[in-house]
Amino acid sequence: MEFTREIYWNVGDGIGTLLPMYLLTFVSIAILVVIFMKRIKIYRQGQALDRLDHLPERILDMVKNVLLQSKVLRRAKGPGWAHGAFFWGFFLLFIGTCLIVVQADFTDPLFDVKFLKGNFYLLFSVVLDVAGLVAIVMLGGLFVRRYFVRPKGLETIKDDAIMHGLLFAILISGFVIEGARMAVTEMGTYLAYWSPVGLVFAKGMAGLGDESLRSVHQLTWWFHLLLVMAFIILIPYTKFRHIFTTSLNYLFADRGPTGKLVSLDMDDEEAESFGAAAITDMTWKDIFDADACTQCKRCQDRCPAYSTDKPLSPMKIVNQIGEVAFDKPQANLIETCSKDALWACTTCFACQEICPASIEHVQKIIDMRRNMVLMEGEFPGEEVMTAMEQTEVNGNPLGLGYASRGDWAEDVGVKPLSEDADVDILYFVGCYASFDKRNIKIARSFVTLCQAAGIKVGILGKEEKCCGEPMRKMGNEYLYQSLALENIELIKGYNVKKVVTTCPHCFNTLAKDYRDLGFEIEVENYTVFLEQLLNTGKLKLNSGELACTYHDSCYLGRHNNIYDAPRALIKAAGGQIVEMDKHRAEAFCCSAGGGRIMAEEKLGERINIKRVGMAVETGAPTLLSNCPFCLTMFEDGIKGANVEDKLNVKDIAEVLAERLA
Amino acid sequence: MKILVCIKQVPDMESKFKLNGEGNWYDGTDLAWRMNEYDEYAVEQAVQLKDQLGDADLTVLSIGPERVKEMMKKALAMGCDRGAHIADDDFFKKDPFEIASVVAEFAKDKGFDLIFTGMQSQDRGSGQVGVLVAEMLGLPSITTIVDFAFDNGQITAKRELEGGMKAIVKTRTPALMTCQLGLNTPRYPTLPNIMKAKKKELLSIPVSELLKVEAKQETAKMYFPEKKGGGLVLEGSVGDLVDQLIKILKDKTAVLA
Repeated sequence: MEFTREIYWNVGDGIGTLLPMYLLTFVSIAILVVIFMKRIKIYRQGQALDRLDHLPERILDMVKNVLLQSKVLRRAKGPGWAHGAFFWGFFLLFIGTCLIVVQADFTDPLFDVKFLKGNFYLLFSVVLDVAGLVAIVMLGGLFVRRYFVRPKGLETIKDDAIMHGLLFAILISGFVIEGARMAVTEMGTYLAYWSPVGLVFAKGMAGLGDESLRSVHQLTWWFHLLLVMAFIILIPYTKFRHIFTTSLNYLFADRGPTGKLVSLDMDDEEAESFGAAAITDMTWKDIFDADACTQCKRCQDRCPAYSTDKPLSPMKIVNQIGEVAFDKPQANLIETCSKDALWACTTCFACQEICPASIEHVQKIIDMRRNMVLMEGEFPGEEVMTAMEQTEVNGNPLGLGYASRGDWAEDVGVKPLSEDADVDILYFVGCYASFDKRNIKIARSFVTLCQAAGIKVGILGKEEKCCGEPMRKMGNEYLYQSLALENIELIKGYNVKKVVTTCPHCFNTLAKDYRDLGFEIEVENYTVFLEQLLNTGKLKLNSGELACTYHDSCYLGRHNNIYDAPRALIKAAGGQIVEMDKHRAEAFCCSAGGGRIMAEEKLGERINIKRVGMAVETGAPTLLSNCPFCLTMFEDGIKGANVEDKLNVKDIAEVLAERLA
Repeated sequence: MKILVCIKQVPDMESKFKLNGEGNWYDGTDLAWRMNEYDEYAVEQAVQLKDQLGDADLTVLSIGPERVKEMMKKALAMGCDRGAHIADDDFFKKDPFEIASVVAEFAKDKGFDLIFTGMQSQDRGSGQVGVLVAEMLGLPSITTIVDFAFDNGQITAKRELEGGMKAIVKTRTPALMTCQLGLNTPRYPTLPNIMKAKKKELLSIPVSELLKVEAKQETAKMYFPEKKGGGLVLEGSVGDLVDQLIKILKDKTAVLA
């Protein structure tokens, strides 16, 4: 006897079954399509944005992310794996159902071809059986998490109850149908063992007798069908929609460079509005992002502002944009999200980096900041406005006289390019390493290292201006572009081959943001540059003992994926790194990004003190950083946390310079 | 209502100052330029008054070389309607009386209802120009105002006096105000206003057309104060600092004897 089963057993494959079944299916899918079409109209309130370039790669990314659940599982704990396993289970059931439809309603009636038979049927049977069980168990786990041991910040709405209830009902009723059928047709057969879960149900129901089993089967079959129809209809109405929207968001995802902001066209004389205050100022993708969000709160869990009691949650910003788009399109976005929340962002990128739905949080926040700054002249505090004005006058937010920008280099044998442009690298020093007493040590150390490796360094001296990064991130695109254009014209005038920076903010800005403004010269971060010198034997270091922990700055780490070069340098200098719990892509911000270096931190706990606390926990006496902003924040945080006796902070360049062989 | 705001471009005070060759003013190289702080309050107050009245015409005036136009554009971006640039490369050689005369000559037949100036410039700091202009035009002037209210031609201004005292002074237009720190917080120009400012009228008038008087004083010499002793910055941990301080007090003073 060949292994198979009768499709439509007990419900019949006549018109009485097929017509209502297909009619219901058609109606359900039609409702789904119509409702989604309405949502597309809502998305289209936003500005145009091309997200279909590189289409083949985009499709590949989407397929990979959906089928492999790559982003869901990345650094995932229990819930991520539960979602992944549930998805695979449910997806297999979906495929199984499709195979049944294909055979029962197409290949068999039209061509007398049946493929659900023999060994393939055995495989089909056992796979679906196990898939169903896995889906139920995983759903159960997620249910317990959501309703009994709910983690802080997990927002639970009506949708969640509907989704859990419906999925449970679909899965269980499926097994009831299988059990009833098996109780009548498969008891005691070898085949039954290929449906182990179904067999358990069958044994449980076996006492009912054939007649009742057939009634139960038939009723449950139709009930199951109705549940599935309800599921299809509810997709666009509930968070079930993420099945489509999140999947498509992988297709529409930003393809980088990571964290590069959209440049505003400052020459557009027709433009009357800048940044985003109304939903129509956002792009369609910003609205779509809200629909792709599943409120998994992974962004919120990692947000340094949120975890220090500031009024920002990247998840809520995304959701609030959705609320405005769908429910109150006339509302002011900035008021809805709250100014304090928008100003609190450090653009650390932890939200966007972890988002399993490829949502772009940071650009949205910057768009709203741009509106506040460019349209209203508003800042998070007077100190920020002062820093902006200082930068306009002196080219640095510290307000120090521009002419003394190169003074630090006078006695280290480095000249400005205006005096000697024949150099190996242009060192773009940045404001803090130029003017700030503590950070000047970074500049001097870097020059010492280059000189030891036989590299001739030049600087721009008093001609250099702030790269514009803090201003840009605070929303002042106009000031950023003025500074950027001046720097670009200046650097281009000097036949520079390579630019090296010791500030990751300068690095990110010159290497990515300046590209929009016609800057094409190679830019390297000093850790990468020095690692090459180390590898080629030009830079020689002593490796005395050095117990330390290392802080991945947001702009070297998450923004540029530079994790290994700095660690290799530290190790070459004898460093034994005791990693903090939050390191590499999970690193916790120092508080100074997003232009917050210019702002006072008035709300909640101090981020830098919290991070210093994490460094202290490692027991290492030295905290190494790679960024002048981080160094400044940690010097301050060490004093603020009263741990001067336990921890000191240094830049990698300082430690290397101390350990030159 | 017609309002005149007089502003001056000054070096940023963080700049590296050097004396010029003649030793009577500072050298212009390596300086960053900005709007005189007190003049920013003047511009802001004028713009706020315009916002209050809805209908007013704001002229911003500055005397100096070509570069002052950059600063005047900021005033236009903050909300002034038109600019009058009195072109003068030798502005720094003129005394306050000459400067005031130039302003008065420009303003005399234009019927300004209100004139705002800074209370003094950050570089010369004579504090004379505003009051001299008022005198030359026969207007009442209120100096060092820290609060300003206008109601139907009636001006109520608060003045800052020595020793923490304040005074309320009232007058009617036309009048002249010199503005002091604390009057307001100057706005940051919005981008649309920066764009609009580029298209606003900014006329240049040679100073020779308006200068009809001679100087009453001259700057004989300018010099850095002699370095005497100077401050001492102690560095180190708190315990260290205390030890150092006690040592200094013992060695150099009699307070611990």
